[in-house]
Amino acid sequence: MSTSSEMTSKPVTMPGGKQVLEDEYFTYVEGVGSIPRDIYKHLKSDPLGDLPRYSVHIVIQHLLIFITFLLLVFTGLPIYFSDVFWAPVVVSFFGGIDTARLIHRIAGFAMMFAAAYHIITIVAGTIHKLLNHEFDYKRTQIPRLKDLYDLIHDLKYFLGIEPYRPKMEKFMYKQKLHYLAIIWGSLVLIAAGSALLFPDIMAKVIPGTLGKLLPQGAIGEESYAAFFQALARLMHADEAVMALIVVAFWHWTNVHFVPGRFPVQWAFLTGRITREHQIEEHFLEYLNNLREIPEEREYMRNLLVELEIESAQEVPLPDRQTFLAQQETAEPEDNP
Amino acid sequence: MKRNSALRIINRHIIICVVLAGTLLPLFSGSLAIAADEYNCLMCHKHRYSGRIDENGKRWNYHVDESIYNQSVHRKIECRDCHTYITKIPHDPVTEAVNCANQCHIKPPFAQEKFSHQKIIDLFNQSAHGIKATDSEELKQAKPYCKFCHQNPMYSRISEDRVAYGETLQRCSNCHPESGVIQAYIHMTHRLRKKTSRSSPEIVELCAKCHQDAALMKKLKVSATALDAVETYNQSIHGKLVRLGSQKAANCVSCHASSGLHDINKKDDERATIYKENLMKTCQQCHERPTNWFAGIAVHPKAKHRESRAVFFMSIFLRLSLYGAVLSMVGLMLFETFGRRREGIKLVLRNGTTWRGKSKPRSKKGK
Repeated sequence: MSTSSEMTSKPVTMPGGKQVLEDEYFTYVEGVGSIPRDIYKHLKSDPLGDLPRYSVHIVIQHLLIFITFLLLVFTGLPIYFSDVFWAPVVVSFFGGIDTARLIHRIAGFAMMFAAAYHIITIVAGTIHKLLNHEFDYKRTQIPRLKDLYDLIHDLKYFLGIEPYRPKMEKFMYKQKLHYLAIIWGSLVLIAAGSALLFPDIMAKVIPGTLGKLLPQGAIGEESYAAFFQALARLMHADEAVMALIVVAFWHWTNVHFVPGRFPVQWAFLTGRITREHQIEEHFLEYLNNLREIPEEREYMRNLLVELEIESAQEVPLPDRQTFLAQQETAEPEDNP
Repeated sequence: MKRNSALRIINRHIIICVVLAGTLLPLFSGSLAIAADEYNCLMCHKHRYSGRIDENGKRWNYHVDESIYNQSVHRKIECRDCHTYITKIPHDPVTEAVNCANQCHIKPPFAQEKFSHQKIIDLFNQSAHGIKATDSEELKQAKPYCKFCHQNPMYSRISEDRVAYGETLQRCSNCHPESGVIQAYIHMTHRLRKKTSRSSPEIVELCAKCHQDAALMKKLKVSATALDAVETYNQSIHGKLVRLGSQKAANCVSCHASSGLHDINKKDDERATIYKENLMKTCQQCHERPTNWFAGIAVHPKAKHRESRAVFFMSIFLRLSLYGAVLSMVGLMLFETFGRRREGIKLVLRNGTTWRGKSKPRSKKGK
């Protein structure tokens, strides 16, 4: 909204000895001051989270997915790997394989419910924002070209070429990638799982329709029903194993075990993100937070003064009423 | 007076207790099963380790454990009903095998004739496993006979789901005349409430004994599908569930035999349960709404996806995307951690920050 208005940009020497343009290093926010890009290294954060990130609906959906995913894994995996030693043990926890299959189906439907709940939340939220003229596609999961540039920028930062991390929106490249992966995985698992659960219905529906799209001879001598059943068996299991491996080896590690998040990142329960995390990885969203949360504005203003980046005299802290009045007058310009 | 009446009440209690104990204890102190042994065969055969090693070095065990035999299906059958060649005691060396088609001295309820397994043996002889005149010598040798599968062991009580009343009665008529069979139904043992007395994994194991023996099957020149039938079954959802102890999933006999259990036929035989025209009826035993398309779904899925090009490429694509996704994501995470660690981030957020011990940010000069 209100970044630096200065036209000339002087180089600033970073602690590592690198030269950065002043314009890129400092972000000027009206009523707050010039925020250095590495401010996240010098502020206080609450491990339970300082700034809003997920609504209560998203938290509930995540918990639903979390529980049903684990149930699905523990009841489904022993069937796929039925000849390994732990399969009967895991199955016996659920009271036998027939009960485990029933639980698998119930959990599957519960997960589909969570997915439907999510879609409703997203659609209703978007409509609500559109009606209030608040909708900003940059704050959503929609992939943009910027995400690719951010990834390249970030890789350069990790290598030490770039001095600071890219300024990213609420959802960064890896979150968008993961979100897309979840959409793809859910579609495959629901489609293939339904085909396995209702093979008779699938056999009725698929041969006449989808079967015609395939090139001649691609499926060998089998009937289309047999072919799609074989495909469903393959896809359901492989996609599920892939989801499990990605969740176990990447998602959980990436969310809870990397520096700054260890031992637990509480956002999945509180729906809130820590301040330093928000500024480091979602700087542009932090600017939105500054605009929307007066307390955060005051905090950042005081911090900048405390760190002697801004002096208290030069930019007086506006009281809330006048600031809000400014916001209201500035609104129509932002959303024509 | 008071003491007297109290004593009388106690006495009465003691008498009631003794009477109750005397009647109830024998009732609940286990079954008093006694095997039929009119000729006292057990006089000799009860001795453990009795047996001999014959000229060929083969060991013969002559011991009959009464406690086990007492609980077997044949417990009420006299030894000589099956071992008919024994006419005197001590008997001559046994050279004859037992014939299950013998009529034994048990008369089934509502039947005029003595019981025999003849009916089921006839059914078996007509099946794919029965020895035919056209069979090669090898095939004749390899084909199973009654005792190959039925060793009369004490099958453990299996917990397969109860089958329908009608199906049970149908199985009764495998051996018994139909008249009066419903009245006889109350005499059923628990064994007849199930299609088989063996559990599903035991049946798979039994069939696999020969059908998994690739060398034997090749020698007998079976078809390509029959050659890896056990392997493909074990990979199917039925096989996996049976292995995990499912009570509902189909075992070999569920699909390959009717209620007669012994009428296993090849799939091009019109009598076979897996004959094209009969397939739907066979699926219907468990699946509610089978269609022609449904019946075409592979129950024995091919071991290798190579046989269908599209499935094969799909499996390769999925494998690649798995490795690609996991490796790139974990790699990126490690790379990211490496980069952030170098910038000075600590592992745990403590005292409000993870970036402890950093120098001050640059202030904006000249502002």
